[in-house]
Order: sequence, then structure tokens, then C-alpha cells
Amino acid sequence: MSGNLLHRPSILRRPDGIGGAFPALVLIILFFVVPVVGLLLRSVTEPVPGLQNYATLFGDGTYARVFFNTFLVATVVTAVTVVVAFPVAWMLAIMPPALGSIVFGIIILSMWTNLLTRTYAWMVLLQRTGVINRTLMDIGLISEPLPLINNLTGVTIGMVYIMLPFMILPLVGTLRAIDPMTLRAAALCGASPFDAFRRILLPLSLPGIAAGGLMVFVMSLGYFVTPTLLGGTSNMMLAAMIAQMIQSLLNWGLGSAAAFILLLVTMALYALQLRLVGAKRTTGGI
Amino acid sequence: MLLDYDRLGWLRAALLGFTGLVAAFLLLPVVFIVLLSFGSSRWLAFPPPGWTLKWYEELFADPAWLEAALTSARIATMAAILAVVIGLLASFALVRGQFRGRNTLRGLLLTPMVLPVVVFAIAIYAFFLRIGLGGTTAGFVIAHTVLALPFAIIPITAALEGFDKSIEDAAIVCGASPFEAKLRVTLPAIKIGIFSAAIFAFLASWDEVVVAIFMASPTLQTLPVKIWGSLRQDLSPVIAAASSLLVLLTLSLMIVTALIRRKLSK
Repeated sequence: MSGNLLHRPSILRRPDGIGGAFPALVLIILFFVVPVVGLLLRSVTEPVPGLQNYATLFGDGTYARVFFNTFLVATVVTAVTVVVAFPVAWMLAIMPPALGSIVFGIIILSMWTNLLTRTYAWMVLLQRTGVINRTLMDIGLISEPLPLINNLTGVTIGMVYIMLPFMILPLVGTLRAIDPMTLRAAALCGASPFDAFRRILLPLSLPGIAAGGLMVFVMSLGYFVTPTLLGGTSNMMLAAMIAQMIQSLLNWGLGSAAAFILLLVTMALYALQLRLVGAKRTTGGI
Repeated sequence: MLLDYDRLGWLRAALLGFTGLVAAFLLLPVVFIVLLSFGSSRWLAFPPPGWTLKWYEELFADPAWLEAALTSARIATMAAILAVVIGLLASFALVRGQFRGRNTLRGLLLTPMVLPVVVFAIAIYAFFLRIGLGGTTAGFVIAHTVLALPFAIIPITAALEGFDKSIEDAAIVCGASPFEAKLRVTLPAIKIGIFSAAIFAFLASWDEVVVAIFMASPTLQTLPVKIWGSLRQDLSPVIAAASSLLVLLTLSLMIVTALIRRKLSK
């Protein structure tokens, strides 16, 4: 199209303004920002004004244990997810499309299946008398059922299952963006496959690994459903503790304070992720 | 060489084997739950001693399940429509607007996706109790629209960024009003993005558990709340039957999505 046509109407150069965002802004401020800020205020005003709720959370060994569990599980889940997801993403990035679309289909099916459905399946699978224990005993690997549920092992298995698609899908994008030529060049120059992996493929995919890993870590920190159902009562994680403080104990002050700590940690890590990859790349699964 | 499928050698076999194992791991619970729902053992023995449809009969005999599913469908449909309309309007501002703080605004609108749901759940629960929306359909729809909004904005802004605005301008040059040009030129061009937004927004509400647990009342329960309640009591095979129907729904949604995407992109 020649530029002449577009010279005249000034209407074309008038960009869309902020106006369209107005309904969204009202919705988010009224029903997201206001409630969350209100909750944070309760953490310093209930039962009496002051920081005593935070003092309780940081001073008590029981709560320290919950924080420790939460960070431990999030760290282990992230590490396992990265290690398992990388080879899969690698294959998906270079597989023939016919084969790849089957694997993609399975990933999407798993990801779109109702969260409770998947967790229920793991509750049954990981039972003392469940399929996994029975199979392991039948082939003689173990003689006693392993305690796979109502502990952090169960939580880790269930969480890795849920997080894998969120790690695999963005990593495929990262790996596809790497020019295969760089690796051919390395091979031509005599690099062994291991050297090429360690010195070229891995460093080039590091931004994707960091972004995906950070997202998995953040999601794991605040996860509620799976830890509650697979973790049992003695190994509580932060989100479950917050829910319990509000729902069962009606301790709004303490619950809000714990929620604020979770919010601060999450937002700090989110900001770090935005720094690392820019706002557009943080969308993971979609 | 490492990124050339045909020249990986033995490494390819190893990586393919590993990928196969992970795919099996991802598929395992989904297939397992469907098989389990037809098994005759109340104690979920596997492989089951026999096959039966009685868990499905029990499921359909209890009107509470159907009612919960209808409640979920109603809330998710309303939340998805609201999220897509509000998200579409916002996307035009986010992609084409030229104002200060555009990235901040984008970040703000996407925050509900990042903040742990449990924090939002107790916040909105407390807020709704105070303003009298607790345990109401309106409250559910509003809370789920907030959570679904980022899932609508992301695909729509992506589609809008890939759309060449000069086509819309051409329509205006040819005499269309700016509104008409958007409606009849731009919207059809980004329909795949809008369609994805609708699916994601619907699923965000349909599968949402945490807010729903706090918001639910004895008279207003969504399907996830019903499943959650049953799970906390026992691991009854009726849950497996309900879960299998949800798997079926996911599968049909995937097929419909694939078909519509193919049709729309023609």
C-alpha cells in the first residue's frame, strides 16, 4: 500500500487510549486490590494494633517448621521438574511433528484435566495398598509398602506431576529458538556431544530454564490443593496453614499476616522473573 | 548436532525413551481414573475384580452432583463472557494505547494469575462477607472473573499484536467508522485469540477450587467443592465416575478446540 492514502485522516493516527482498560481497572481495583489491601490491614490491626502477629509467626517453632517445609518442597519440586522437563522439551523441539503432536496432546490432556481429578488419582495410586506399592512389592523391589502419601514424598510426586507442563511448554520455545547451526559448528570443531551440551546447549537454554523454574517455584510456594490432599496434617505447607487459620481457627490476624508474607515472597520473585525475561514471556502454559 | 533429530545417534534413543516414560507418567492418572470408575471394588482394588456401571448409577442417582455441575457451568459461562468482554476492551488499550504506565497497568491486570489463590480467596471472602455478597452467585461470578481475566487478556493481546493495524486503517479510509472497522475487520482477524481466551477463562472458573471452598454455602456448591467435600470424607469410586466424566469433557474440549482452530485459521 502506498503511503499517500494514509496522509489525510487524522483519525488513523489517533491511538486507542486508556479508555478500553477502564472496566478491567475498576474490576481489579474494586475486587482485587481493595480486598487484598483490606486483608493486609487486618494483619496489623487484629486482635490489637501492632506487629504482634508477625512476631508470633517468626518466633514460634511450629510456624518455622511450616515455612521450612514450604521452601523445601518448592525447591525439590522445582529441581526435579527442571531435570525431568529438559530432555522432554529437547525432544519436543526437534521431533517430527507427527510424533510430537501425540506428546503435546498428552501434555495438554494432563494439564487441562481437572486438578482435583488428578490429585484424587494420585491419592489412590500412592496408598499403602495402592497400585504403585503393590507393583513394587510384586516385582520384589520392596518387601514393605513405602509410605508414599500423607508426607512430603506424596506432595512432591503430586506437585511435580502438576508442574511438568508449565516447565516443558516454555522450554520448548526456548530450545526451538536456538539455531542448530551453533551445535553443528561445535561438532565440526571437534566438541564431544557432552562438551557441546555443557558449553552450548545448556547455557543457551538457561534463560528458559530460569524463567520456567522460577515460575514453578513461585506456584509451588503458594499451592493449596495438592499439598492439603497428599500431605496429611503433620507436614502442613504455608497455603494450607493460612486456610486453616482462617477457616477453622477464625484467627484473622495471624492468617492475614501469614498471607502477607506469602504475598511478599511471591511478588518479589515475580518481579525478579519479569526482570529476567520481560513481561511477555512469563505466561507459561498459554 | 544436538539439535538435529536425524544425527543424534544413540542419544536419540535414550531421549525418546525418557520422553516416552514422562508421557506415560503424565497419562497414568488420567487413564487410571477412567479404568477405576468401571471397577467393581468399593475399596478401589486394582486391577478390579470385575467391571460395573454402578458408580455411574450412584452418581446420577444423587441430584447434588448434577446440581453442582450445573452451578459450575452457569458460573463459569458468566465469568468467561465477562472476562472476555472486559479483557478484549482492555487488550486494545494495552496493545495500542499510548499512555504512561502502560506496562504497569498490564502487570496489574495480570497479577491475579500470579498471586497465590489462597491469599485472594481469604481476601475476597472477608470482603464479600462485609458487603453481603458472600455465598451468592454474583459473588462467585465476580471472584472468578477476576481470576479469569489474565487468561483472557494474554491470548487476546497476543493475537492483537500479530494483527497489522493498517488493515483496520484501510477500512477507515474506505469509509468505515473506527468502531465499525474494529467490529468487522479486526475482531474477525483475531477470532482465534478470542476463542482461546473464552476456553481458558471458562476453564479457570470451572476448575477453580480454593476461592470456591471459601465462598460455597450449603445451598450454592460448585462441582470442585462437591468433589473436595467427598474427597475429604472417603475415596469413594463415585468420585472416580465423576472424574471420568470430567476427563471426557476435557477431551471433547480439546477436540472442539482443535477443530475450531483449524476452521478459523482457514
